[in-house]
Amino acid sequence: MIWLTWRQHRKEVLYTLIALAALAAILVPTGLTMHGRFEDTGLKACMDGLGTASLIPQTESAAECQRLANEFQQKYSSLAFVAVLFVILPVFVGVFFGAPLVARELEQGTHRFVWTQGVSRTRWALAKLGLIGGFALLVAVVYALGVSWWFTPLVAAVGSRMEYLAFDVQGVVPVAYTLFALALGVFTGTYWRRVLPAMGVALAGFTVVRGGIELLARPRYLAPKELTYSLLSTDQPNSASGDWIQSHGVRDGSGELIMPDARMGPCPAESACGQEIQSLGPGAHQWQLYQPGDRFWLFQGIETGIFLALTALLIVLALRRLRTLA
Amino acid sequence: MEQALEAEGLGKRYGRTWALQDCSLQLPPGRVAALVGPNGAGKSTLLHLAVGLLKPDSGRVRVFGREPRGGPEVLDEIGFVAQDTPLYRDFTARELISLGGRLNRRWDAALARDRLSALHIPPDRPVGKLSGGQRAQVALALALAKRPRLLLLDEPVAALDPLARREFMQALMGAVAESETTVLFSSHLLAELERTCDHLIVLQTAHVQLSGSVDELLDGHRLLIGPRDAATPAGVDKVVRAAHTERQSTLLVRSRALPAPASGWTEHEVGLEDLVLAYLADAETREAETAWEVTA
Repeated sequence: MIWLTWRQHRKEVLYTLIALAALAAILVPTGLTMHGRFEDTGLKACMDGLGTASLIPQTESAAECQRLANEFQQKYSSLAFVAVLFVILPVFVGVFFGAPLVARELEQGTHRFVWTQGVSRTRWALAKLGLIGGFALLVAVVYALGVSWWFTPLVAAVGSRMEYLAFDVQGVVPVAYTLFALALGVFTGTYWRRVLPAMGVALAGFTVVRGGIELLARPRYLAPKELTYSLLSTDQPNSASGDWIQSHGVRDGSGELIMPDARMGPCPAESACGQEIQSLGPGAHQWQLYQPGDRFWLFQGIETGIFLALTALLIVLALRRLRTLA
Repeated sequence: MEQALEAEGLGKRYGRTWALQDCSLQLPPGRVAALVGPNGAGKSTLLHLAVGLLKPDSGRVRVFGREPRGGPEVLDEIGFVAQDTPLYRDFTARELISLGGRLNRRWDAALARDRLSALHIPPDRPVGKLSGGQRAQVALALALAKRPRLLLLDEPVAALDPLARREFMQALMGAVAESETTVLFSSHLLAELERTCDHLIVLQTAHVQLSGSVDELLDGHRLLIGPRDAATPAGVDKVVRAAHTERQSTLLVRSRALPAPASGWTEHEVGLEDLVLAYLADAETREAETAWEVTA
C-alpha cells in the first residue's frame, strides 16, 4: 500500500515540495529583513517595554513606539497581501490531495481493480488516508511554523494577532484547516465521484464552513470583555496588548453609544477637542468591547478542536459511504 | 458438492428500482459459464455482488461457501476483470504486476510475465498507451496471476475489435484449460457461445430467466413445428416462445422428452443462440405486458 500510494501521488508530492520551496524562497529573505528591522529600529524592545495591559498611560516612550510602528507598517504593509495567499494555501493542499483520493479511482473505474485484490477496501482507505494525511500534516506544520515566524513582526506592528487574517495563518489553526480540507475533499469525492466536481464542491464547502466559523463563531468562543475609561483620562489603549477590539466608541453618561467607532482624547481642557468632550455632558466615556490578547492560544485551541472534530466526522462518513460504492 | 458460486434469492436495489431481484443460481466448480443478457439486465450487478464490490439488499451470495464480503481471504479466491478493464493508466504492465504482488497473498508474477511476453506486450510502456486488446490482456494476466479458483469477467470483449476479441477469448480458454478455474463471464454477444462455454445463465429485467449446463438446457428444449391452432402436444412443460404464420405454428418448448412425435408436429433440436433469444424475447414480452397492464 505504501508503494501504491507513493506511486500514485508522487507527482503531487513533488509539486507540493516545489511550492513549499518557492514559498520559502519568498518568506526567508523577506522574513529575515523584517525581523532584522523590527529589532534594529528598537521597535521590538519598545513594544516589549509597553507590556500587555489593555490600558497604558500616555508617555513619551509610548508615542515613540507608535511612531516606529507606523514607520514599520508603512514599509512592509504591502507584504500583508502575501498573507492573503497564505490563507488559501491549506485548502489547496487539502483539495488537491483529498478530492482525487477516491474520486479519481471512481472516475477511471480503477476502484474495481484495487478493491478486488487481496486488501480490504477499509484497509486500503485507511492506508491511503494515513499516508496522505501524514504528508499533509507535515506540510501544514512546516507551513504554519514558517508563516507564524514570518508574520510576527508585521502583526505586532499593525495590530493584534487575534484579528482576522493574522489569526488564520498563525499558530496551529492552519494545520487543522489543512486536515479538514483534505477530509472534505475525500468525502466529496465519495459522493460526486468525479475529480473536478468533487474539488469544486470541496472548495465551496470549505469556504462556507471556514467563513461561517470565522465570522459567526470565533468572536463568541468566550464572552468579550468590556473596557471603559474617562475621556479626560491620560490613559490610552496599548497597541502592544494584542487585544482584538471588536467594537468601540464613545458613550454618554446614560451609557448610550453616541459616537460609534470614535476615539477621543486625551486632550487639554481648553483645546477645541477638550471643549467638545465637555459638551457631551458629565459621565461621557470611552468604551471598547474586546477579546484580550492572552486568549490567543485558547482561541486557537478551540478553533483547532472544532476543525479536527469536523475532520473526524467527515472521515467516518467517507469510510461509511465507501462501503456502499461499487 | 460445494458450489463455486451460489446465489439464493439475491437482490440489489438502486433507489426503488431492483437491478437484480430474486436471483437464485448455482455454478458448479470447473464450469465455464456465460452470463447473457441485454444491457441493463443486471449482469454487472450480479458480478459485483459475487466479487463483494456490492452488498446485497436481499438474499445471499456465496463463493465456495463463503460470503465475498466476509474478508480478504475470500477475495484471494476470486479473479475479477471489470468492465472496460480499468487499470492505472500511467502504470506500466511491469509496475502493475509488482503492485499485484504487494496487494495479494498468493501471486504468480512469473505467470503474468510469461503470458504478456508471449503476447509481445511491452513491459515498460504505460498501459494507458496500449491498445484496448493489449490492455484487456494485461487485465486478464493480472487476474490469472492471483491463481483464482473463480474467475469473473464483466463484458471482457465488448469494447474490442473482432480480432482482439478472438485473441482474448483464445487466451482465456487456453488459461482455463490449463487450470481448474471456474469462469463466469458476462456478454451481450451470443455468437461463439456454443464453442466457449458449457454453462449458461440468462439474465433479463433483473431476473434469472435460465440457468444450467448447456448440455442439459439443449437437451431439455425442443423446437416443434406443426399446423396452426393444433393443440400443444402432450409432454410439453412450457411453451417458451410461439410464432405463428397463417398455416403453421413454431413452438419452442421446454420438455424432458416427448413420448412420441405428436401427430402433425415435427420435432427439432434447438441451437444455443435460438434458445437464448427465445427466453430473452419471452421475458421482454412479459415485462411489456406488465408495464402496460395488459394480459396475454
